Amino acid sequence: MALKSRGGWWPALCIGITFIVLAVYLLLVASNWIYLGWHDTVYFFSKSRMWARFWLTVWTSTVSTSFSLLIGIPAGYALSRFRFPCRYIIATVIDLPIVVAPAVIGAFLFGITTRFPFDWISEHYSIYIGRNVYGVLLVQFTVTAAFCARLMKASFDMIPTRFEAVSHSLGASPFRTFFKVVLPMAKNGIIASMIVVWARAAAEWEGLMLFVGATEGKTDILPFAIYLDWNGGMMGWVTSMSILSILMAISAVSAMKIIGGKSNAW
Amino acid sequence: MKIIKNLAVFLVMFSVFWVTHVYGGEKSILFHAGLGQRSSLNDIKKVFEKRNPDIKVNFSYKGSGYFIADITRSKQGDLFMPGEEFYLLQAVERGFLTDYNPKTDIPAYFVTVIVTPRGNPKNIKSIEDFARPGVRVGLGNPKSCAIGIWHQKTFEKAGIWDKVKENATMSAKCIPELGNACQHRAIDATIIWTPTAVLYLRDVEIIPIEHKYRGIIKLPVGILKFARYRDEAQKLMDFILSEEGRAIFHTHAYAVNPNIPVDKQGFCLDGTTDQDMEYLVNAAKAVKDKSFPVTKEIIGDLSGEVLRQKKTTRAGD
Repeated sequence: MALKSRGGWWPALCIGITFIVLAVYLLLVASNWIYLGWHDTVYFFSKSRMWARFWLTVWTSTVSTSFSLLIGIPAGYALSRFRFPCRYIIATVIDLPIVVAPAVIGAFLFGITTRFPFDWISEHYSIYIGRNVYGVLLVQFTVTAAFCARLMKASFDMIPTRFEAVSHSLGASPFRTFFKVVLPMAKNGIIASMIVVWARAAAEWEGLMLFVGATEGKTDILPFAIYLDWNGGMMGWVTSMSILSILMAISAVSAMKIIGGKSNAW
Repeated sequence: MKIIKNLAVFLVMFSVFWVTHVYGGEKSILFHAGLGQRSSLNDIKKVFEKRNPDIKVNFSYKGSGYFIADITRSKQGDLFMPGEEFYLLQAVERGFLTDYNPKTDIPAYFVTVIVTPRGNPKNIKSIEDFARPGVRVGLGNPKSCAIGIWHQKTFEKAGIWDKVKENATMSAKCIPELGNACQHRAIDATIIWTPTAVLYLRDVEIIPIEHKYRGIIKLPVGILKFARYRDEAQKLMDFILSEEGRAIFHTHAYAVNPNIPVDKQGFCLDGTTDQDMEYLVNAAKAVKDKSFPVTKEIIGDLSGEVLRQKKTTRAGD
C-alpha cells in the first residue's frame, strides 16, 4: 500500500514537515518540563491534591462517557441503518454540538436546569444539578453525547449490511442480530470511539466555566484546575498538571490506535 | 463481546446508584466568588466549617465578569463577592441584592502597586516612568476588568495617559494575565492589586506607588435576594466581616483597615497603607533571598504566602 519514500524531493519534504511538527511538540513539553525542574516535578507529582484531581477527571469522564454510549450506540446505529422521517435534519442537529463552542452549551444548560422538572426536583428532593459534580457530568455528557453518536455512526457504517441481511434471513430478530452480529463486528470501532469520547470529556472546560464554576476538590477537573491555578499565579501547579494532561492524552490516543487501528473515525 | 456485556452491567448498576443517591441533608451555601479571592476564601471556609459543622460552603469561583449572566439566568446563590464593587453594583441595579450597605459590607481593600519583572530591567521607580519611550507597558482592558479602569484613571491623573497608551503592548482581559506577563518578562511594567502581586513574589519586583496615585479599591460582599439559606449566609458574612475574617484577608496582602482616607476618585490621601506596602516589598525579598529573615516585624502577616512560595521554585501550595 505505502508508497516508496525514496527518490524525489516531494516525499522528503512531507516527511521533513512531519518531523518538524513532532519536534515543535516535543520542544513544547521539554521546555515546560525544564522550566518546572526536577525537584518541583517530584514535589508536585507526589502531592495528593494532584492525584485527587486526576481521579476526579478520570471518574467523571468515565461516567459521562458511559451515559454517552448508552445514547450514542443506538442513535449511531439508527442513523447508520434505518430510514425514518427527518433523518437528515436529525443528523445535522446531532452534529451541532461538535461544531458549536462548548461555551454555548454551558450557557444554554441554564435554560433547562432552571425550568420544570429540574427546578421542581431541586426544591422537593434537594438534588441540585449545577454547582456540584452532577453539573460536571451533565456538561460532559451534553458535549460528548452527540459526538459519540457521530463516531458510532461512522463505526457502524463500516460494517457491510450483508451480514445483517443473512442473519435476518436465518430467522434472527433485529434485536438479536444487533447484539450477536453487528456489535461484535463493530467492537474495535466502538472501543476506539469510546476512548476519543472519553478524552473529549476529560478535556472539557468552557462549559464548566460557565455552568458549574469551580469548587476545589469537587468540580475542578484537570483542565479547569489548570485555569484556576493559572489565575492564582501557581505556575508550579499549572505546569505539572499540564504535563499530566499531556501524558493522559498520549496514553488515550495510543490505546485508541492499538485497539481500533482500523476504525475510520480517525 | 464480553467487554461490552460487562460494560453494560456496569452502566446499569451505576445508573441505579446515581438515581438513588440523594444529596445529604446538610445545608450547603452557594457562594459566587471572584477567582482572585480564592486563597483567602478557602482559608475562611476552613475555619468556618470547623465551627459550624452542619453548614457547608460551596464556592462557585469564576472571573468576575461571568457572574451577572450566571445569576440572571440561574437565579441561584446565597452569597456574592465579585472582585470589585463595580460588579456588585451591577447586581444591585438589577435587584439581585436588596440590602447592600457600601459603608459596612467591605471586608477588605485592594491597593494598587507597580510590578516589574525580576531585576527591574527598565529601572521603573514611579508612575511617570511608564511614559518613558521603550518601556513595554501592560494595560488592562477597561471593558472587561476593573484594573483597566484604574490604569486609565491613574495615568490620566498623572497627565501621561496618551504616552502610556503608546507604550502599551498588551490589553489584558483579566488581572492575572498582567501578573503572568510580568512573571514571564513579556512586559516591563504594569500596575496590579496587592493580593495579585503577592502571588508572584519570586518572579517580580514590587514598587509601592506614591500616595496621590495609590488607588484603594473596595472588595464587597452581599447576600443575594433569592438565597436559600439566608440565616446561614448571614452567619458566614458576619464571620467574613469580623476582625478574624479580616485578619485572614490581611495574610493575603489585602488592606483591612476600614478607615483608609481616600479622595472622591478612590486615591489614597495619607500613609495608612504604607506599612502594608513595606511588608509586601520585604516579602518579595524574603522569597528571592534565602538569608532574608521571615519575622512578623519585617513581613507582617505575609509569612504564610512567603513560606508557601519558598517551598518550591515554581509556586504551588
